Amino acid sequence: MSVIEQTRQDALNLFEKLGLPTLRDEDWKYTDASRLKDLLQPTPIDENIHIKDMGINGLDAYRMVFINGMFAEAESDLPEGVSILSLAELEKNSVGEDAKGIAKLFTVDTQAPLMNGFNAYNAAKASDGSVIILADNAILTKPLYILHISNQSNVVRHSFMIGQHAQAEIIEHFISAGDNKALSNSCSFVALKAEAHLEHSRIQQEGDKQSHVARVQVKQCKGSSYTFHGVELGAALSRTDLVVNLHGEGASCDLNGLFVLGGRQHADHHTRIDHKAPHCTSRELYRTVLDGRSHGVFNGKVMVHEGAVKTDSNMSNGNILLSKHAEIDTKPELEIYNDDVKCAHGATIGQLDDKQLFYLRSRGISAEAAQELLTFAFADEVLVAMSNQTVRSYVEKAAFAKLPHGDNLEEMLGS
Amino acid sequence: MLEVKDLHVSVDGKKILKGLNLTINAGEVHAIMGPNGAGKSTLSNVIAGRDGYEITSGSITYKNDDLLEMSPEERAWAGVFLAFQYPVEIPGVNNTYLLKAGVNAKRKHQGLEELDAFDFMQTVKEKAKLVELDPSFLSRSVNEGFSGGEKKRNEIFQMAVLEPSLALLDETDSGLDIDALRIVAGGVNKLRSPDRAMVMITHYQRLLDYIEPDFVHVLADGMIQKTGDKSLALELEEHGYDWVKENK
Ligand SMILES: Nc1ncnc2c1ncn2[C@@H]1O[C@H](COP(=O)(O)OP(=O)(O)OP(=O)(O)O)[C@@H](O)[C@H]1O
Ligand SMILES: [Mg+2]
Repeated sequence: MSVIEQTRQDALNLFEKLGLPTLRDEDWKYTDASRLKDLLQPTPIDENIHIKDMGINGLDAYRMVFINGMFAEAESDLPEGVSILSLAELEKNSVGEDAKGIAKLFTVDTQAPLMNGFNAYNAAKASDGSVIILADNAILTKPLYILHISNQSNVVRHSFMIGQHAQAEIIEHFISAGDNKALSNSCSFVALKAEAHLEHSRIQQEGDKQSHVARVQVKQCKGSSYTFHGVELGAALSRTDLVVNLHGEGASCDLNGLFVLGGRQHADHHTRIDHKAPHCTSRELYRTVLDGRSHGVFNGKVMVHEGAVKTDSNMSNGNILLSKHAEIDTKPELEIYNDDVKCAHGATIGQLDDKQLFYLRSRGISAEAAQELLTFAFADEVLVAMSNQTVRSYVEKAAFAKLPHGDNLEEMLGS
Repeated sequence: MLEVKDLHVSVDGKKILKGLNLTINAGEVHAIMGPNGAGKSTLSNVIAGRDGYEITSGSITYKNDDLLEMSPEERAWAGVFLAFQYPVEIPGVNNTYLLKAGVNAKRKHQGLEELDAFDFMQTVKEKAKLVELDPSFLSRSVNEGFSGGEKKRNEIFQMAVLEPSLALLDETDSGLDIDALRIVAGGVNKLRSPDRAMVMITHYQRLLDYIEPDFVHVLADGMIQKTGDKSLALELEEHGYDWVKENK
């Protein structure tokens, strides 16, 4: 057995030991993963998918397409001189020392926060993924758009390694072809060297019978900055574990999350930020707009470790319930092991503000439209942090479309 | 245009307006003065259609319609406008979008075509000039981070764009500096017209030097206690509200 095969076998053994999380696990008490058991196995086929015109139109970006978890080279457009590779290709072609390096990409860190059976399964069974290595001082001149299209269960595994002073923007987009019942199991590992910067979006817009389980794990060296935008619009059930390790002095992260859910959709984000070094900054803004019988879960934990003096951390979570059957479970948590910190966190759950509604209506905007406008404005505040305007307006439109009478709204706001 | 008859209003069981009568005709400018807590904002909120007020008896007729039966937006479409005493901040809703949506909703209701974007922007720029509102405010969120005086100026700017028939200005002068007061009053004067009525709620006689009212009312204890012309405001300034109660 090769070193890679061995590593993946270890991951499988670990998965068999861990099994899938259950409602008895504190971190999974609101999200029932048991019904995903039969959907785990990836089916990496690409038949019956016509990808023409799929994804974000008009986005000026390099492009990497995955169909049911397999890299579709013919559909992709990658830059010269930057190492953006397929994990499956690397695995197939590497021997000796190289293979040891690749094997590391499949190692499961059992000590990492929020580790679970899905993550072990991902390491064991990933069909493909990307390995992106940006050299020191390199700047990716265009964003990299990673489009995942699926109609079968799929398992992908990405690694983004950004060198010192290097900069990149990566957009992961998840959509479905057709309305099969399937599970996407996705992991993205991010390593930022000193002073590196990454803006990373994940837009989950899969079909309403799909499920989506993800892990995003980030390690940040000195002075690096990481901006995350997590948008949950699709899937019947989705769960993301976002784990950020502020490992080097002066590192900063900015985590933004937006759920717009309706029907019986369920979305759960568990985030964990570890302040391990002095002078690090974390900012987190999550908002949810829940209609129908949808259910949102937000659990944000910030852990400030002993030596992490001058930590500056701010977390806020706002939720609007548009229907009396919608439900949110929110829990911002703060654990601090030194005195020299500035931390704030809070969560609100509510309906729209009466004064604002009346103000809009008194200007001639109908009650319905005023509600939509305020709901949209509430959601859009999360998207302000998105620097890519094409992606932002795509997400805005997709969010519009999910609000009741969203088309009125678009007309009303114009351009 | 507006006829308020024997209006009784309570909030949370507390009686605030106790039989208020007021008649306003097209082309007129009325000033309402009165002590803090007398019910001036309550009256203007009830006319604009804010909920949370219990109307226990009385009626309000506007252009021959029962105003109390209309929703706030229907009142706006019919030409009622309230410049708020405390304009609310609405993060994320663009000032110009708000007006465009408001103007087009009204036009739609009247069976008119929506304004095209270019024409609308022309109007907006012109009206901004009227109250010397810096154009940068047009692209900001409604009132967000505006100073007190800027919010008031923005209210009058909105009034200029929405072109109401009945404008209620609730303490628009409070919080304006001397120059701003002159500018805003100048803007209001330009909007005076034979088919538009205005009601100014104020604590200061000074405003009435700039915008000359046809009638001045004193609202106290939930009723209009006295009505006079411009000189009543001067007398109030001199003698205070107790004098009104003694000289009914
Ligand atoms: N929502 C409310 N709940 C309880 N009391 C209220 C409410 N709104 C108004 N009131 C009370 O009604 C009375 C009248 O208030 P209103 O705002 O109409 O006064 P005003 O004449 O506009 O005063 P000011 O000159 O200070 O603006 C006050 O005593 C006020 O406290
Ligand atoms: Mg008042």
